[in-house]
Parts: sequence; C-alpha cells; structure tokens
Amino acid sequence: MAHTRWTGPGMTRRTALGGLAAASAMAGLPRAARAQTAPLRWWSPQSSPAQAAAYEFQIEAFKAATGIDVVFERTSDEGYAPQLAAAFSSGEVPDVVTHLPSFAAQTYYANGLLEPFNDVIEAIGTEKYYEGANNVFLAEDGNYCATGIGNSAANMLWVRRDLMAEAGIDKIPETWDELRNAVSAMQKGGIYGAPLPYGVNSMTSLIFIGFIHQAGGQVFTPDLQVNLDNEGTRNALEFYKEMREYCPPGATNYSWGESLTAFVSGATATGIYTGRVLINVNDQNPPLADHITCATYPRMSTDIAPWTFNDFASVFIPAQSQNKEAAKQFAAFLFDPPGYIRQLHAAPGHVLPILRTISENPEYQDNAIIQKYSSEVDLMAASAANGFNLGYESPEHQSNSKAGEIIGSNIISEMVGRVVLNGDNVDEALSDASQAIEAIMAS
Amino acid sequence: MIRRVAFNLFAWGIVLAVAFPLFWMLVTSVKPQFELFRRPPTFLPETWTLEHYIRLIQDTPFLTYFKNSIILSTATTLVVVAISTLGAYSLVRFKYRGRESLAFLVLFTYLLPSVVLIIPLYLMLVSMGLSNTIFSLVIAYTTFALPYALWLLRSFMAGIPEDLESAALVDGASRMGAFVDVILPQLLPGIISTALFTFILSWNEYLYALVLVNSDSARPLTTGVMNMLVSSFNIEWSLLMAASVMMSVPLIIVFAFLQSYLTRGFGAGGVKG
Amino acid sequence: MQASQTVLERRYAALGLLLIAPTVLVFCAVIVYPLVSAIYLSLFSIFTPTLQGEWVGLDNYRTLLAKDEFWSSLVNNLIWTVGTLTLQILLGVGMALVLHQNIWFRSLARSLILFPYFISTVVAVLVWKWLFNDLYGILNHLMLAVGMIDMPVDYLGTMPNAMISVILVGAWKFFPFVVIAVLARLQTIPDALYEAARIDGAGPIARFFDVTLPQLRDVLVVIIMLRAIWDFKEFDMIYLLTGGGPITSTQTLPLLVYKEAFALNQMGMAAAYAVVMMLIMLVFMIVYIRRTRQEADT
Repeated sequence: MAHTRWTGPGMTRRTALGGLAAASAMAGLPRAARAQTAPLRWWSPQSSPAQAAAYEFQIEAFKAATGIDVVFERTSDEGYAPQLAAAFSSGEVPDVVTHLPSFAAQTYYANGLLEPFNDVIEAIGTEKYYEGANNVFLAEDGNYCATGIGNSAANMLWVRRDLMAEAGIDKIPETWDELRNAVSAMQKGGIYGAPLPYGVNSMTSLIFIGFIHQAGGQVFTPDLQVNLDNEGTRNALEFYKEMREYCPPGATNYSWGESLTAFVSGATATGIYTGRVLINVNDQNPPLADHITCATYPRMSTDIAPWTFNDFASVFIPAQSQNKEAAKQFAAFLFDPPGYIRQLHAAPGHVLPILRTISENPEYQDNAIIQKYSSEVDLMAASAANGFNLGYESPEHQSNSKAGEIIGSNIISEMVGRVVLNGDNVDEALSDASQAIEAIMAS
Repeated sequence: MIRRVAFNLFAWGIVLAVAFPLFWMLVTSVKPQFELFRRPPTFLPETWTLEHYIRLIQDTPFLTYFKNSIILSTATTLVVVAISTLGAYSLVRFKYRGRESLAFLVLFTYLLPSVVLIIPLYLMLVSMGLSNTIFSLVIAYTTFALPYALWLLRSFMAGIPEDLESAALVDGASRMGAFVDVILPQLLPGIISTALFTFILSWNEYLYALVLVNSDSARPLTTGVMNMLVSSFNIEWSLLMAASVMMSVPLIIVFAFLQSYLTRGFGAGGVKG
Repeated sequence: MQASQTVLERRYAALGLLLIAPTVLVFCAVIVYPLVSAIYLSLFSIFTPTLQGEWVGLDNYRTLLAKDEFWSSLVNNLIWTVGTLTLQILLGVGMALVLHQNIWFRSLARSLILFPYFISTVVAVLVWKWLFNDLYGILNHLMLAVGMIDMPVDYLGTMPNAMISVILVGAWKFFPFVVIAVLARLQTIPDALYEAARIDGAGPIARFFDVTLPQLRDVLVVIIMLRAIWDFKEFDMIYLLTGGGPITSTQTLPLLVYKEAFALNQMGMAAAYAVVMMLIMLVFMIVYIRRTRQEADT
C-alpha cells in the first residue's frame, strides 16, 4: 500500500514533506485545538436547494439530540476529486462525506484515508438493509469502507410517450436497433433523438461503461485483469458513434447537467438519467409531466441482461477526522427515518432508499411524485438494487479499488471521444486506453 | 458631416457588439425558466421576473459568498498596495546592492503559473493553521497581485520628478517625511489605479479559490457560484445569469466612480516599463 | 562633508532596505518557498491524496519530454497565445484609436468597451457558454435566422471551432486592457506632432504610421510582454470554457498541470510540467527583452 512505500534512502514522502512543513515554523498548532470545539463538516455533491433544505433539517435534529454542531458544505461531481485530494493531503478533512460513488470510497480506503465503517453499519442496523446492500463497500481487508446512503439508477432510458405516438412507435425500445430506429423517427422539428454525453468527463466514462456491458463486454475480467479490448467494447463504440447524429451538436461537451436539461426542456425525445427527471420536469416543464416514463437502457440484443449503472452513493468518514466518534454518530443519524425520508423526498426517485425498512415506510410512500410515478420508481428501485459500476462490474468481480482513479483520469471518455469525434483508429484507441488503465492498476 | 455620422455609427456598432453579451446576460436573468427553453429564443422577455434574484438571495448562500469576496478583495488590495508602495519607493529612489536583481526577480515571478505554487502553498497554509479561511486566500492572492502591483507602482514612481523630493529634503524634511508629504500625493493616481487592478484581479480569481477553500464560510463568489449552480442535477441559466449580473455590480460601481483615474493613472506611466 | 555624505547615503541605503523588507519577506514566503518546493516535488513520484511517493530524480522530466501530450499541449498553448494576443493587440489598438476620436457619448462608449475586462472570467465564460448554447443559444439562432447555417453550430465541442471560440472569447475578454493602455498613451502624444505631419502633407494613414505608431512603440512592447505572459499561463478561461476539450484539442500546459495533479493524482509529474512551462516562458521572455532592447538601441 502506498503509505508504507519506502523511498531509496529510507525516507517516506511524508517525512520529506514534514521537513517542508516544519520549515514554516508553526506546524500543526491550531489543528489540535480544533478537535473539541469545531463543528463537524459534512460534504456532499448532492445539494440541490431542496436537498440542502433537507440536510439542514437533519443537522438541526442532530444538534437537538446530541448538542453537536454540523455544517454542510457542497462539493460537485466533477470537483470532489481535487477538493478531497487537497483536503487529504493537508489533513483538513471533512468529517463526513456523503453521495460519492462507492468506488471513490474504495479508492480512498485502499490508500488508508478512510475510517473502517463496520460499527456505523451496526449502529444503523444490519437487518434493516436490503440483502447484500453493503457488498459493494467490502474492502480487501474484510472491513467495510463505507455504507450506502442511497441507490440510483443512473442510466435509465427516459422517453416521451407523446412523441413516440406521433412517430408511430408503440413500444419502448429494448434493443439498440429499436432505439436507433425510434430516435431516428422522433428526431425532427428541432427535437433531437437523445442527449448522450460525448465530453471528456465522468458522465461519458460512466455511461459508456454501461454501453460496454449492454453489448456483453466488460472492462475487467473478474480477477481484475484489464479486458477492455473485446467484442463488446468494439460494438459499443460503433453504436455510440452511430448515435452521435441523433444527439444535439453540443453533446460533445455534455455532462449530467446538460444531458438532463436537454430532456427536461423537451429538446430531446429520449433521456438518460436517474429519477431526478421526475421532479425537474414537474417543476420546470409541467406540460411534459404526463407524457414521460422510463425503462432500463436498451442492450445490443435481448439475450444480454440489462446493466444498470448505480453509483452506490456512499457515506464515509475520513481517517484524519478530528472527531470520529461524533462523525460516526452523525453518519448513523443520517438514516434516522424522519430525516432520511425528508432527504429522499427532496429528489423523489433520484436517490432511492438503501434500507428495506424505509421503502416499506408509509411516510416514504406518501409523496406526490412517488405516487404519481409509482411504477417508474419501483422499476428504478429494482434496477438499482441489481445495479453495478466500474468498482463492481458483476457479482463475480472482485472489488476494484482503482475504479475511482480510472474514472477520474477520464481514460475511457477520452477513448470514446477519440473514436467517435476524431475518427481515430479503434485498435489504437483501445490499446492506448488499455495501457493507461493498466498503468493505473499497477501503480 | 456624413462622414462623421458614418464614423459614429461604425464606432457604436463595434461598441454594441462588444457589449452585447452583457446585454444578453441582463435579459436572460429576468426571463422565467420556462421561457429559456423556448426555441427559437425570445429576444426580449415576454414575461419579466425578478424571481431569480430573489431566489439567489433568499435560498442560496450567494450573500455569504458575496461578503467573502468583498472582504477578500478589500483585504488583498490593502495588503498588496501597502507593501508594494513601500517596495516601489525603495526600488526606485534608493541605491543599494541587489536592487537590480530584485527588480528582475519581480519580473520573474510574473512568469510563475498559479498551478506551480498551489500545493506547496496549500501545505504551508495548513501548517500555519490558516487553511479554509479567507486569510489563506489573501496570502495566496498576494502571489500574483504583489508582483503586478509592484511593477505598476514602480513605473508610476519613476514618473514622479526627483526634484520635488530633493527640494523637500533640502528644506529639512526627513526621507519618510518627504515620502508622506511629497511622494504619496503625487503617487495617488497610481495607487488608486493599482488598487483597482488588484481589487479586480482578486475579485475574479478562480483557481486558488477552487483548490484552497472548501468551506462555504470562506468561499468567494467565483467558485461559490460555479459550485452552487453548475451541477449535475440542473443547469439553471437564468439563475446563473442573475448571479453573473450581481457579481459584476460592485465592479460597475467601482468602475463608474474611478474610471477616469484608471485611464489617467495609466497615462502617467503605468505601462512605460 | 564628504564623510557625512556617505553616512547619509548609508543611512538611506539602510532605509531603502527596510522599506523593501516587507516585499522581500512576502516574496520569500509566498513565492520563493513554494517555488523551491515545487521544484523539489518535481523530483518525486507522488500520489496526490496521500502525498506519499518516492524519489525518482529526473525521471519525470524524461517521461514528460517523451510524451506526445506535452508537445501537443505546448503547440496548443502557442496557438492560443499567439492567436488571442494578436487579436487583442489589433482590436485594442483599433478601438483605442476610435475611442480617442470625438464620438457621441464617448465616456459611455469607453465604459462599455472596458467592461469585459473587469468582469470575472467565470461570468465571461458563463455568458459566452450561454450565447454558444446549441439548443437555446442566441448566436445559433441568429445565424439560423439569417440563413448562414442550417444546423446549430457546435462552438465548443469540435475542432477547429473550439480553439477559435476560445481565442475569440479570450480576445473579447482581454482586449480592453490594451485599449486602456494605448488610450492613455494616445492622450499624451502632443498635437504638435500631428500638426507637423499634416503640414508635411501626410494623410491619416501616413500619420498613423509615422507619428502614432512610433509613439506607441514603448507601450506596445510592454503590453505585448505582459499580455503574452498572462495569456500563456491562462487557466480559468480555457478550463471553464472547454476543459481542454474536445478530447485534448484545446488543452494548454496549465490545464495539463492541473490534470496531472488532480485528475491523475500525479503531483510530482505535475510539478515537473509546471517547472518546464516556467522555463519555456523564461526563455521566451529573455529573447523578447533582448530583441526589443536591441531594436531600441539601433
């Protein structure tokens, strides 16, 4: 592991940097003083206004119950990596981090940056979880590096029934051929077929990994050998390239926000996103509200099982937290029904409950959106529960602690861009990407 | 006469083209969200609304960021101008060994890309217990603001005739007395101009703020707004444009009052090198 | 008399050192020390979040020079710098000449022209991204309306559009700096010079080349240097506009440094890139200063 790696003359990097820090005299004084008085810092990239309001409710309830202060601080999907890197390297870490993907937690844990999470899971109550819900957080050393705070089915196919009817399509596409025909039929009058992302960013990587699996391929073998160059990936690249003409011109820079907004605004006939679509359509473009529905994203053929991308939004506690006990208490408190339900209701259908006991809770079901779209929400919940991501490609796969770095490096989205946008040679792009991933695996 | 009108129209054509993005920002910020989804876009809003401004102020930490930015930029400006005025005075009017190499060093630090300094700077700030504070950004901003301020003030200082100071010295003033009584008043336009530039640079900085500050209590507007409004769950253009307008307001005010200083000050020697 | 003079001089020198002391201290603390650390870091292979790694000597530099990505980023960096700088200078000098004339509402026109420089890069980028938007952007709409195009243009996601867009936005944002400086200088050119030229029978164009341009020379030398440095190391605008995309087509060296440090978590490698980038700028600077000095001397 990295933190026990020794340098030539017997000096770790930390020692070297310690020397640098000592040069600036006042090393470390105020940090110790912080421990007792400072409030817990809670980071999350999920912070729409409604979610932030729910978090405030949880923070106040926790304060009332324990007298401990918590401050909420937002980070972002594309920004958390540098921010946490800076935080970890300086020791000025948040005390609780939520809603980062499971593979981010695994990566940090493997580098010794996180506190084992076993006792928090016990405090929440192992029996309350769906079965196997924590498998994805099992680290190599047998401990849990985090737990889930919510599931999400991030690559659902969203469609507009009104446009489908107009174009004479009677069934939601299940295969790639059907999808291609459908978007081609619906693309007219300034409406594009699909908002697939082609930018060099995490969304493109994550969504494209889904396409690889939907073509029966995989990025790694179950024992984590790089296996990117396979028939599935090649087919996925080809199909993804074909889909380009049905996506808006700006899709070359799309990430989650743009892709979502394109569907919600009515600019594309289909969408690819989580259940966040529901609340956004109802808030921002109500005329569409009665026409939308979702399905699992089409595959190359129906012989291949659907592959739902679930980032397994996590909760974890950095090892350098000055107040681990309080942080653990707070992490467990996040699952306290009134607050947790409020948090889930802030984006109904987007973050799906990780606890069986919450899904069954009538209070959770008591929400206009969840009721109006109950079949969609049920489908998403079922798909997400059987979902995967790069850290956990299939039940056979060992957990991959480098997945976070691979996504962060944008190797996969860069490969997609090279093939789709630049028209580079597929063999070359695949072999470059494979080599780059191997380099990360070896580091 | 016709030539004059034609020239004026030409000139104003360019001016309006340059200013169009700002006009568009203003217009977008008062359109309701659903109107933004209209294709083709409406030129002037069909429905005018201030809801985005109200939401920005009531439902988001915008005002906190705003306050942070004000404190941060003001503090940076004060620190940098104070240090660099003394420094420039010394560099221009005193003779000692190493003066020239010092001036060269100033020039050299211009070349440093911010990305080079970020991590060492961050480690340093943390070990001093200052990370995640506005003060840490003040220190970080000094890295690019000070060389520039020193450079500007040095040329302003060089533009002040030496005779004035010599006369005061002959009249029995001390060196610092002459500095306060003679140099400072002469230097005022330069100081104001330098202060403005420093303020603007600090108000607009993004990279340091992105990496060095991770808490809402110290985050300035640039990263705050991006972080808050450009997210994976929504891109609310009208809200973004409203935020952009409000971020620019202080600059407009400062600018409106001090514009003449800025241009005049520059003429006094700001870029004579 | 002689002796007391030296005492005074020595006292002055001491005072001079005292006055420069805060500057030197701050420089050492916030610039020199981090700089030395950065050079030191560039000799290690470091994993960013843990900051642990091992001594690799000059390996980082060897890897970097052998990497295509370094050279392509350097080329991008030069294209961006030269492109945007040229536009800034041309637009800036042109606009300054226009604004120097007595046009209607001159001070309003000046304020409007200078405004892009004073707004934050974040604001500029947001506004332009909104103008460029493929679906709801006014630029595409206007061009569609007048029939210049029949499909919306992808301004930021394809090449060469992305590089052109970045250069244009850069020029829009930064040319007012040139306007300010040139305008200020224009106001100090004595009218007598123009009178003399006019008497000699010089037309407006000849007057520009014979009178105005030589007078602007010193200012332009400095502006070009300042702006070249700033443009070369510009991070915010490119990062926020395209993030270096499509793929790496607009990725300049500062973006590469950021990517190495935070996306790839290779802090040591990033430091090496940064050091090399600095050296490149240093070389350019020295050459530039030499050449302008020589020209000034001849």
